[in-house]
Amino acid sequence: MDRYAMEVSGGCQCGAVRYHATEMFDNSHICHCRMCQKAMGNIFAALVAAPRESITWTRGTPARFRSSEHVDRGFCDKCGTPLFYDNTEGPRVNFTIGSLDHPELFPPHANTGQEGQVPWFETLTIIESGGATETGQEAWASAIKQTNHQHPDHDTSNWP
Amino acid sequence: MPPVSAHAGGCQCGAVRFSVTRLGRGSICHCRMCQKAFGGFFGPLVTAHNAVWSRGEPKWFQSSNAARRAFCGDCGTPLAYETRFGLELAIGAFDHPEHAAPEIQVNPHDKLPFFDGLTALPMREETSDEWRDFLAGIHSNQHPDHDTADWPPRGDK
Repeated sequence: MDRYAMEVSGGCQCGAVRYHATEMFDNSHICHCRMCQKAMGNIFAALVAAPRESITWTRGTPARFRSSEHVDRGFCDKCGTPLFYDNTEGPRVNFTIGSLDHPELFPPHANTGQEGQVPWFETLTIIESGGATETGQEAWASAIKQTNHQHPDHDTSNWP
Repeated sequence: MPPVSAHAGGCQCGAVRFSVTRLGRGSICHCRMCQKAFGGFFGPLVTAHNAVWSRGEPKWFQSSNAARRAFCGDCGTPLAYETRFGLELAIGAFDHPEHAAPEIQVNPHDKLPFFDGLTALPMREETSDEWRDFLAGIHSNQHPDHDTADWPPRGDK
């Protein structure tokens, strides 16, 4: 696992908790284990790590749930966004890729925890596409856009 | 206790549990709001008919005027998305997520560029002594994948 210099920011949906890192590891991956599924409410967790000493919590403080004796799961207790997987005895913190401002920069390289993989995982990418919310629901999509309470995908000096 | 035919699930720590008698269509939503709310690549949601909170209550975040999102205030697990069209539950929060396969994907304009390659990723084999020791030492604090009369368990765990 290699580390490299990179300025990244991220945070929760409501913006109460924000973080910044100055270095990242090249370990982007998805984990299918049942504990990651449950922590994320999802089919798998998408994670990429930063060295612990390179991380600054720039706004607010994440809440933590000790999912086992070794591991804390971080989240925002105002909006619920899962923020990280932290092996508290280790040198790095794995951020949830979806909480990063630019998840598109962290394509995963590997699967882990395959014992928990849902049996239909292989079909995920080929199920029917229903198109955009806008299609046939213009008023609905417009209402969401205009009243969106999500923090933008960049740091802000004041929020909200 | 809910009927045995019900689908049940809840958060990681077990403080919030739900039960639902009938599931509608499962979906994955690529929109940036679902990505953020789940900290993931997409939101995995299934329409829930007649859902009840069978233990505890979730916290809610009003993500826009049109929708609110439920999560466990104690452990953070995302649990639900609700609009005037109804309630949808997070597929990964079910005791048996395999029973709620998504049938459709929506909002492709925010789809991550690597999504289509996800199912072709290699499996990582972790065989170092350090990793084996780490796994051997894990004692999970996660609620089991079935309803429980009391939680957390009394006495030794």
